[in-house]
Amino acid sequence: MKIAVVGKGGAGKTTTSAVLARALGRRGARVVALDCDTNPNLGLSLGVGDSETERLLTLRERLDTGEAEHAPSFDEILERYGSDAPDNVRLAVITRIENPEPG
Amino acid sequence: MADLAPMIRIAFVGKGGAGKSTVAGTFARLLARRGEPVLALDSDPMPGMPYSLGVAVDDHPIPEDVVVAGGEGRPRWVLRPGLDAAAMVDRYAAQCPDGVRYLQFGNLWGPVVRLQQAQFAWSQVVAELDTQQWHLVGDLPGGTRQAMFGWAKYADTVCLVVEPTVKSLHTAARLASLPRAQWGPRSLIVVVNKARDAADADRVAARLGVEPSAVAPHDPAVLRGDRRGAPPLDTAPDGPFAQAVSVLVDRVVSLYSQPKETAQPEESAQSGEAAQREEAAR
Repeated sequence: MKIAVVGKGGAGKTTTSAVLARALGRRGARVVALDCDTNPNLGLSLGVGDSETERLLTLRERLDTGEAEHAPSFDEILERYGSDAPDNVRLAVITRIENPEPG
Repeated sequence: MADLAPMIRIAFVGKGGAGKSTVAGTFARLLARRGEPVLALDSDPMPGMPYSLGVAVDDHPIPEDVVVAGGEGRPRWVLRPGLDAAAMVDRYAAQCPDGVRYLQFGNLWGPVVRLQQAQFAWSQVVAELDTQQWHLVGDLPGGTRQAMFGWAKYADTVCLVVEPTVKSLHTAARLASLPRAQWGPRSLIVVVNKARDAADADRVAARLGVEPSAVAPHDPAVLRGDRRGAPPLDTAPDGPFAQAVSVLVDRVVSLYSQPKETAQPEESAQSGEAAQREEAAR
């Protein structure tokens, strides 16, 4: 399944996403949690901590400034711009895939 | 008429849900009650200020026909000939309680594609406004993006609204770097909102290294009013929230009454402007 969580600021999007991701992970699912927010905080709710959340933001900013290259594939995004979170969840800040395969 | 000089130019930033619009709208009305001319500027595409200002109709979009294509070397959209910033405020800034005027660029219910014209018009009005005529009280969208792009460059003071939650604090810590941005606001102040106890205010002060200018406690009356669509000033005019914002107004007024040590930020931060137009074009 692919679920996107949306809503007004402060409504609880990030918190809902994180709980959803970890609850699914606890049931044995392989879960990818993607932070698409321009102000990414999902790491805080998943429990990876301040500094790791900030490290992921820094990685993404290096892409925005052109200091780093976009990943060639989805798996590479998870590898390069991701971090392991509790309950079998892999967190990644989403950027974009360079020259994505169709589909 | 305005007794205060220079005019206040303040913008409220912070994480979504921290209470920017609620504080900003209340601030604007309390300042206006002192007999000051106040223009409230809302640059949130999903505007929240009407609810705290207490303006009867929440949707006040700038119509798209106020602009024409800018042409070579100019912004994509410019105010059509004959329309200037003063005329735009006169025609399109809503009349609010306590005499506040409110200029909105968003459109709650209209098609998003038409926002672009309104956003360019709004930006031009703000850039060309007679800043001696109005105190400016601005409300930005939640998060860091627009703030970092220079959407508040009309302001020389940025007020960081912080809820004492871990995520709101984290966002506030990112935004605390704003005075070092190219368009650099002269000062950054902090207001704590929805504080449960004294430790909350201490937590914010410790994390940001800034003593809060005001601390608004969690105020159940404000929430009850919200459910009826009523602004804090009309629901609980003497409640702890309104009192805290009143303290904030005092602090800001005194900030502007002090002699300036640093120069005012330059009127046109070119890169910020370019970024803002680029952002508006999305």
